[in-house]
Amino acid sequence: MSGNVSRRKFLAASAAVTAGSLAAPWVARAQANEITALLITGGPLYPKYWEKVVQDFTAKTGIKVRYDLLEFTPLTSKVVTLSAARSSQYDVYSTHTAQIDSYFNHFAPLNSYFSESELADFYPVAVKYLRDPKTGNLAAIPRNMDARVQYYRSDIYQEKGLKPAETWEELVDVGLKLTGNGHYGLVVPGQGDPAQRTFSDLLWQAGGDWVDQANKPAFNSEAGIKALTFYRDLIQKHKIVPPDAVGYQWNENSTEFSSGTVYANFDWPGAFATLSNPETSRVVGKWSTAPYVRDKAAISCAISHAMALNGQSGRKDPAVEFIRYTVGPEAQRLQFDQFTNFPSSQAIAKEVIAAAKGPQATWLQQLETTIANGKEWPKLAGFSKVCTLMFSAIEQALTDQLSPSDSLNQAAAEAEDTMRRAGAYD
Amino acid sequence: MSSVAQNRVSGRRRRSPLPYTWQRGYLLAAPAFIVMLAIFVYPLGYSFLMSFFRWDLSGSAPFIGTGNYTDELSGRQFNQALRNQIVFSVVSITVEVVAGMAIAVLVNGKLRGMRLARTLLLVPPMIAPAVVGLNFRWLFNTQYGLVDALLRMFNLPNIPWLNDPTWALVSVIIADVWQNTPLMVLLFLAGLQSLPQEPLEAATVDGAGPWQRFWHIVLPLMRPVIMIALMLRIIDTFRTFDVVWLMTQGGPGGATNLLTVYAYLLAFQAVDFGHAAAVSYIALGMSLFVLGLLYGVPWLLAKRRAI
Repeated sequence: MSGNVSRRKFLAASAAVTAGSLAAPWVARAQANEITALLITGGPLYPKYWEKVVQDFTAKTGIKVRYDLLEFTPLTSKVVTLSAARSSQYDVYSTHTAQIDSYFNHFAPLNSYFSESELADFYPVAVKYLRDPKTGNLAAIPRNMDARVQYYRSDIYQEKGLKPAETWEELVDVGLKLTGNGHYGLVVPGQGDPAQRTFSDLLWQAGGDWVDQANKPAFNSEAGIKALTFYRDLIQKHKIVPPDAVGYQWNENSTEFSSGTVYANFDWPGAFATLSNPETSRVVGKWSTAPYVRDKAAISCAISHAMALNGQSGRKDPAVEFIRYTVGPEAQRLQFDQFTNFPSSQAIAKEVIAAAKGPQATWLQQLETTIANGKEWPKLAGFSKVCTLMFSAIEQALTDQLSPSDSLNQAAAEAEDTMRRAGAYD
Repeated sequence: MSSVAQNRVSGRRRRSPLPYTWQRGYLLAAPAFIVMLAIFVYPLGYSFLMSFFRWDLSGSAPFIGTGNYTDELSGRQFNQALRNQIVFSVVSITVEVVAGMAIAVLVNGKLRGMRLARTLLLVPPMIAPAVVGLNFRWLFNTQYGLVDALLRMFNLPNIPWLNDPTWALVSVIIADVWQNTPLMVLLFLAGLQSLPQEPLEAATVDGAGPWQRFWHIVLPLMRPVIMIALMLRIIDTFRTFDVVWLMTQGGPGGATNLLTVYAYLLAFQAVDFGHAAAVSYIALGMSLFVLGLLYGVPWLLAKRRAI
């Protein structure tokens, strides 16, 4: 063979193959009718859901979608990395309200693609916290709502003559009556972002807020100290929450209830489907739902999974077509049917609530009330870094390393400094 | 065959623009060198550059000199992570080296079952750190964990392994020691088995006991192996991430935040790459400094003695 091919030809062929393989992805991606998407997954049903959405979308529009699926945490890390690299690998991203402020300069504004009348159909709380407060640009469009209600063991409550708690005081009273023999009356997460979410709900319920009117930290107010003291006491003083909860995130929180160890928790919409499935729950048919507890106010978080357009995308129009389809009526109905994900469209939400019966109807109404009264922490410059400070501050109070007031005061001082340096007050 | 002779044999080779010189050697090595530049040197240099900018996805990335470094060095969270890192590295390396040497001496003996013991020692280092982290997380769970279940069986009080700041740091050290001590044993065992037997036999003849033989002969002869082991572990402890992340995510309240975990939180939670890069380079500087001390001090002492 070496006699037939000269070295020059061999090197030329090698160079051509190398250049071709390097150029191939760009050539492939240059097809006008193909876009790429990085989408969220979780559980066995999600891949089938996306496959159906993509197939239906392609059948209707002729636009092909090449997509990758990742679970929430790796997806967030990947979007951060790709945004930092100003990558155009994906045209569309799944995203979430929680860290949206980090991407205000990297996701293309969707205002020009969605009219105000179209946006009016989405829950206002979802749209509000996906906007950059400085520019008013809409960084993402909500796909489904995330809010929590109380899940409790109706069989055990009935047996002991108890009603689900409505107030903080009742939460402790009921919890004390249920705790014992290896069981706990309540479980709350105590680590990282889930701990911050829990503190945030209690802060609003106690009448406080994250920042004041000048956007200066206000979470160390009397209401904040009351909220964190109550949160800590559930674990350390009343002991109605498992001691390991200080290391729990959402999965452990849900599992403690679905395994039957704990008799109440506050969980997301996905829990309804999980708890109804014998493969994932030991308490099928033994639970019911109730509104989130209240103190001075009945407020808890209302956030959303959302879809965003990569600012670096070279195919923005077909990408927006796909985003529009994923938040449209068909996809929203499908995700409710498959995972009981609460729709972000008010019209579709009304439709599914009207069609629901029995406990599901009650639960959907409770969720809608939570969403209507819901809030989210501010989307100010530097607040993502404030969150990491808060993880540590809340955990230090929950594990009695610092008093609630000391930990919040320390975090507030650091938070103001962090936000100032990030340009929140410029 | 010389290159001149080869050129005579092959007409094609004579037309080659590349003579058989050292340049051709470099040219042949160039692809590998380019790959190394692309995947190692470039990211390393780029992240070093990032550490001097406010790099947080906010659009602009202004140059702030050593601002990220001074912020971190004066920051509470960094100092907590640094303190944890020092405790974690010193305690785990000390335990691993001392226990590793003790076990190596034991399995080096001609006792029954030692071959099996040596084989079993290979298991912990072969397990992925992520698996070790998950297993220890459940072992140390106070409700469902095996360790507290055993304590309860003997009417001993539960230990809040991962729920108390001090015990949480102890727990991650235990997991690290469990995984890495066997590696030390294997290194020391290889060293022990290659030691010259004459000095030991001579010492035995002179009436030296086992402890004297170990302290005055084995240990000095093992010094190069111990130095290698220390170097590997110092580098490793400054890179530890998986086990700690899966056991505690740096909590509770930052009690097990090591420099790597803190840098990860800065980069992927706070989305602050400038500070994350600065923390990473401080960690790199620290491990290089410690390694410098480890090798530099004995070298200086030896030089002074020679003078």
